[in-house]
Amino acid sequence: MNEPNGAVNEARPVQVSEGRTARKEATTLRNALLEARGVTRSFGTVQALNGVDFAIHPGEVVGLVGDNGAGKSTLLKILCGALQPSSGQLLVEGSPVVFHSPRDSRERGIEVVYQDLALATELSVLENVFLGREQRRTGILGRFGILDRNAMARDARETLDSLGIEIHDVAARCGLLSGGQRQAVAVAKAIRWGSRVLLLDEPTAALAVMEAEKIGGLVREVVKGEVGVVLVSHNLPQVHELCDRIVVLLRGSIVANLHREDTTVEEIVMWITGAARSRGN
Amino acid sequence: MKEDRVLAQPSVVATTNAGPGKTFRELEDERLAAEGVRRVARNRNFVRRLQSQGLVLVFIVVFVIMWVSSPYFLTTGNLLTAASVVSILGIMAVLETLLVIAGEIDISVGSVMAAVSVLLGLMAAAGMNIWLAAILGLLFSAAVGVINGVVTVYFKINSLVTTLGTYSIFLGLAYALSSTSTVSVGGQGFDVLGSGSVGSIPVPVLFFVGIWLVVAVAARHSRLGRHVYATGDNYDAAVRSGVRADLLRVGLFVAVATSAGLAGIIVTSELGAAAPQIGTSYLLSVITAVILGGASLRGGRGRMVGTLVAVAILGVLQNGFALLQFSTYLEDTVLGCLLIFAVLTDRLVRRAER
Repeated sequence: MNEPNGAVNEARPVQVSEGRTARKEATTLRNALLEARGVTRSFGTVQALNGVDFAIHPGEVVGLVGDNGAGKSTLLKILCGALQPSSGQLLVEGSPVVFHSPRDSRERGIEVVYQDLALATELSVLENVFLGREQRRTGILGRFGILDRNAMARDARETLDSLGIEIHDVAARCGLLSGGQRQAVAVAKAIRWGSRVLLLDEPTAALAVMEAEKIGGLVREVVKGEVGVVLVSHNLPQVHELCDRIVVLLRGSIVANLHREDTTVEEIVMWITGAARSRGN
Repeated sequence: MKEDRVLAQPSVVATTNAGPGKTFRELEDERLAAEGVRRVARNRNFVRRLQSQGLVLVFIVVFVIMWVSSPYFLTTGNLLTAASVVSILGIMAVLETLLVIAGEIDISVGSVMAAVSVLLGLMAAAGMNIWLAAILGLLFSAAVGVINGVVTVYFKINSLVTTLGTYSIFLGLAYALSSTSTVSVGGQGFDVLGSGSVGSIPVPVLFFVGIWLVVAVAARHSRLGRHVYATGDNYDAAVRSGVRADLLRVGLFVAVATSAGLAGIIVTSELGAAAPQIGTSYLLSVITAVILGGASLRGGRGRMVGTLVAVAILGVLQNGFALLQFSTYLEDTVLGCLLIFAVLTDRLVRRAER
């Protein structure tokens, strides 16, 4: 199989000149689930992102690494619509999109898992999984917004079981769960609704080692399907273990696009610090 | 740049196929850990149950004390009167509970009551149909809610400060506009709201129970209700999940203010006259009922049953003070004690859960 970025790069100049037909060709080659092209973002005089090309393909885990201030979170926020690029373009499966807010990206099957445990602790597991997407009863009760708890409980149960997350009672308050279980629920929620891309922002930063490992297991489980995963993390051993491809950001630009098989944690570190580039690689 | 041209995906998938099965299912500690979590869960739920059972216990104690102290207490007539009186604050406490669960508070309810009452008086004096005046009064109170909500939510002002401001504004206006003369408000069957009854149940009680039922079911079983809890519990999580938390909070401010408007209309109907002084006593009692009922000022937590029991406790207390002819000033003292007690309980419950 061709290296996906290469395919896109080849297609781009053609597309600029010929428009639609070229895009169709790109589609037949292989479309990225979500792609950023030449994305730039500045905050005042600070250039946070500088013409970034980034693509996520089905069944792929892409690690996004870089030092603090390298532009990781800016890129992530642009990918989910929390920020808008100053210039450049986002594409979902080949067609250009504009995300005004995370609401828009959610509609396209893009979900984010945040590092802080983003669950409502007073709500039950099932209510959290369905928060903002509650299932209402059919008939007159549903008209008044009455919820179909049984259907949601069944659905949540299936989701958790399919991911091997052990939670005994989906009607239990999330406040009663451990940090790892909560993050697992957050990931499960994202998986339940994210039909295309999962963006994981330091999903294991607040977790113990064992729990972090389980979240890693979940990520591997997810990409068996047609979903693509972006993992932003400072935990480089974990990134190296989990990700098929590791993209390194340095001062707002992508400086390396490494494959797991032929790189090491040490090399990633050198790219992150800029040592690899200055050595003339 | 170092870039590999070949993505060896099949092999990656193969290894991941074997991976998660092992790390996941074979951990026996997981089951043990889960067992531990369940035990903790049982303890935490126990503390909460204790809190709500304690509330019922307080009610029983207060009830029995009154029963023993006054021969008039346990008569149907007296209990219905007590219920009718406390329903006014109950109507407001129900919606205030929702607002507190959503993480905000509105202490302007008393002054909205007073302002609406005075407004009714002015409109009645001008010869307006009293029912039309009542509807305008409700709209006015809703408008106050919009002010409270928009200032608090969109300008990110602490709601305690916002509503302290509106409290002062409208209480002052109510007194200023009413100082000229006492206007009687009535006619066209308007007194039914405050003094009427269906069967033997006073109309204010019907209002209270009806509103309580709707809100209690909605809070627990409706999408909107769950969003209220989520908003107060974890605002960011709610917003990220697509809950329109800001709009929801403004809506709750409007609902609370409108309930205060309704309460003001009912009291005016009962008294048959505009009365700006009604506003001052309700500030403390409404908040006390909400907090005593178990709603947490930090948001996310509270039950409508708790508010119901708390309102009942306040009803018995108020009635008792009247029957035993205690000073009404002491009533404020007792309410203050209850409020502190309620806040301390909430604090202790949270600490026990940690």
